[in-house]
Amino acid sequence: MREELSQIIQTYLAKIKQAKTQNELGEIYLELFGKNGEITKIPKQFPQLSIEEKKIIAPLFTRTKLELEKAVEESKEKILEEGYKKLNLEKLDPKGQIKKRQGHLHPSTQFKKEIVDLFQKLGFQEIFAPHVEWDKYNFEDLNIPKDHPSRDMWDTLYVDTSRLEIDPGSMLLRTHTSNFWPRLMSKGKTPICAMSFDRCFRYEAVDARHAHTFNQFEIAIVGEKGKFISMANLKYLSDYLLKGILGKEAKSRFRPKYYPFVEPGVGIDCLCVFCHGKGCKICSGIGWFEIAGAGLIHPNVLSATGIDPKEHNGLAWGFGPDRMLMLKHSIEDIRYFLEGDLKFLQSY
Amino acid sequence: MKVSLSWLKELVNYNWSPQELADRLSLKSIGVKEVNDNFIELDLTYNRGDLLSLRGVAREVAAISGTQIKFGNLPNPKQNLPEVSVKIENPKLAPVYCVAKIENLKVEKSSDSWIKKLADSGIRTVNNIADITNLIMLEYGQPMHAFDGKKVQNEEIIVRNAKKNETVQTLDGKNRILTTSDLLITDSQGILGLAGVMGAKNSEVSNSTNTILLEAAIFDPVTIRKTSMNHGLYSEAGKRFQHRLTKTNLLNAFAEVIRIYGDQGGKLTAISLVGDFIENPKTIILNYDRLNNLIGASIPKNEVESALNNLGFEVNSNDQGWEVRPPNWRLDIQIEEDLVEEVARIYGYEKIETKPLSLENAEPLDQSIPNLILSLKQKLKNIGLTEVETYSFYSSQVIENLNLNKKSLVKIANPITTETEYLRDFIWPNLIEVVDKNIKSDFSDIAIFEIGKVYSPKKEDLPIEEFRVSIALMNDTDNPITELEAIIDSLKITKPSGKLGDLALFHPTRRTKNSAEVHPRILNKFAITKRVAVFEINLEKSL
Repeated sequence: MREELSQIIQTYLAKIKQAKTQNELGEIYLELFGKNGEITKIPKQFPQLSIEEKKIIAPLFTRTKLELEKAVEESKEKILEEGYKKLNLEKLDPKGQIKKRQGHLHPSTQFKKEIVDLFQKLGFQEIFAPHVEWDKYNFEDLNIPKDHPSRDMWDTLYVDTSRLEIDPGSMLLRTHTSNFWPRLMSKGKTPICAMSFDRCFRYEAVDARHAHTFNQFEIAIVGEKGKFISMANLKYLSDYLLKGILGKEAKSRFRPKYYPFVEPGVGIDCLCVFCHGKGCKICSGIGWFEIAGAGLIHPNVLSATGIDPKEHNGLAWGFGPDRMLMLKHSIEDIRYFLEGDLKFLQSY
Repeated sequence: MKVSLSWLKELVNYNWSPQELADRLSLKSIGVKEVNDNFIELDLTYNRGDLLSLRGVAREVAAISGTQIKFGNLPNPKQNLPEVSVKIENPKLAPVYCVAKIENLKVEKSSDSWIKKLADSGIRTVNNIADITNLIMLEYGQPMHAFDGKKVQNEEIIVRNAKKNETVQTLDGKNRILTTSDLLITDSQGILGLAGVMGAKNSEVSNSTNTILLEAAIFDPVTIRKTSMNHGLYSEAGKRFQHRLTKTNLLNAFAEVIRIYGDQGGKLTAISLVGDFIENPKTIILNYDRLNNLIGASIPKNEVESALNNLGFEVNSNDQGWEVRPPNWRLDIQIEEDLVEEVARIYGYEKIETKPLSLENAEPLDQSIPNLILSLKQKLKNIGLTEVETYSFYSSQVIENLNLNKKSLVKIANPITTETEYLRDFIWPNLIEVVDKNIKSDFSDIAIFEIGKVYSPKKEDLPIEEFRVSIALMNDTDNPITELEAIIDSLKITKPSGKLGDLALFHPTRRTKNSAEVHPRILNKFAITKRVAVFEINLEKSL
């Protein structure tokens, strides 16, 4: 068997070296490692060997196998590299024709357009804020001081600042779009009527319902001097959005909920549009499902950005459009949004 | 927090079914995670520390159901007995500290009713001595800790910060290296425990314990939080310290725990109450007009008063509204808006009518970028491309296959996995991954685009974030860039700006400043054997 192996290696190393194309190489590979390949056949004879013989043959077999595999790999690289040299002969041709295709917008873009259109009608304007943010704008100015237990509400991804000459922990991936409030408010121009539909990040293990990267839609209003914005206004805006995207019968209800940046703070439930409040699988039998968080902007937030809370107040309303889209279109896995599956994306 | 329903009934006279109770609480007070016949589990909120106790929940239930609580304040536990020596180095970190020496105890199995209360609350029974401290914590929200009295040298307690590199073995058997921000309970010889977080092994109560030194204290919440986080020690007690505790409640809990140990045959032989126990109640002005303006309703004055009274607030009316004194257990009430919330939720959010809002003269914001993004997306769609959105990160596959220089990327300090360790500085590599994935699901024609942000690090500042437009085209020909150029041409980009990256990543001849065929060597690493061309520009500078 030892001879058989040295025969295989002599013959095939030469063959492998001479191969000029990937196809030739593929055939050689099959001759060696295919179902009835020369190498594949060898171990089938092992049971006939004595223990002594096996001690010598088995390692020799392994070495031979590895050597041939390596040779195939090297030859493959060589053939590829030879091929790459020919790229120099190709040239940049003049522009051609555009093939006819059906285009598609990402479902998030379509949804964003819908929501942004609705709120533009009320006078809201879109704003972007940085994705990579200072702790100050993401937390501190929003009444979430350092070392406060409420920080645990946001599992945060921090930026490694060791090469940037910046204190560790001071730079992070924003956990919500709310970093736009202090950035906008600190410009000192009121009234404010802004909205944002953009990407946020959390330290979150990914599964069908959780994503570390997700969208948030948020509005923030700071009123004119001396003119109050109320919870009744907030209710109006909630109903406006829910009716606008889920249909006329949609309606909202408030429940007390704590967010450090608003006071009063409410969780907003939407009457389940699937069972009309009777209770079904989608709303876990409750008849309502939680959809958003909102409230009147906390005076500490206004103060932190230089707005006098005695003269101005405001409201904010935010929700996760990805979840809403999943409900609307019965999408079962949140990962579909960012993983580029064209079968999914081209069905919208 | 899991609230035992049979226990709650001992504390408040309400007549709701478990489901009704859960529904009312979630509409008026706090979210409910789970409800069954034995307990309801409340959503933890970071403001309502008082709801981390059965008594707090009972008060809330009484307020929203219009019923009565069945408990009152207990007499001050101070007694004419010897004192245990207590020395507190920094009273800011331990404003009040109580310790009681209880002798003559016998370690036994707890009664069935105790075991049921603990089980409903999600806590396992240990023995009567340990269970008492847990029961008190659950009912009052005040953590307690029992040291084995025989193991405390000279019956002397010193509360001090750790010295650098001091070590302690905690109850969980782990040896821990301490830092100067850790607050310790010690005797004259050694460490008895990490204040408010975990006891030390050497002072642990055992089956042979008959004398305990029982501690009830208030520690600085920030100190407790830091120690918990530094040592990865998260406990029910630690949580309550972080949510802040009150002196009145501590004294009630301390009086009660001494009484219960007495029932178990224990004899109080020494007691110390160290610190200033006087509460400084706040007075907050609630203006009637402002209240109605913020809620957007006209709530009758008497309803405002009864809402606050039911919640335990003292209310004194004046010309404009009221002077309000929050009850001592409501540390979350700080400002007028907090009172507005209290009134609004008890009055009932469902009674607030919607009011339209006119927002005409808001400060204008530059809408050119959002408009540009949307119109460009529409254009690309109309040309026949499919929009994709990919992560803001580079996958480990992209970094390896493109042999990217990690030093030039924004790095995450605490990535979830290697797939979230570096932020992208180009979009097109992520599009190559999308092409690869879809070739594998048998797509033979792939024309995709993404408009999104890329990130590059900057010294002493936030990274530079810019919007990019990127296209990838695999049209099953050997020369996709010719079609890609036609697509780009139809976009009528006036001054294309931005680069594509390292030239080695691209075809040696088929490239322009902003578009190129990706080098087959790179594509082969993704196992792509088709030709793929890409395009990428900076959105703001190009259009």
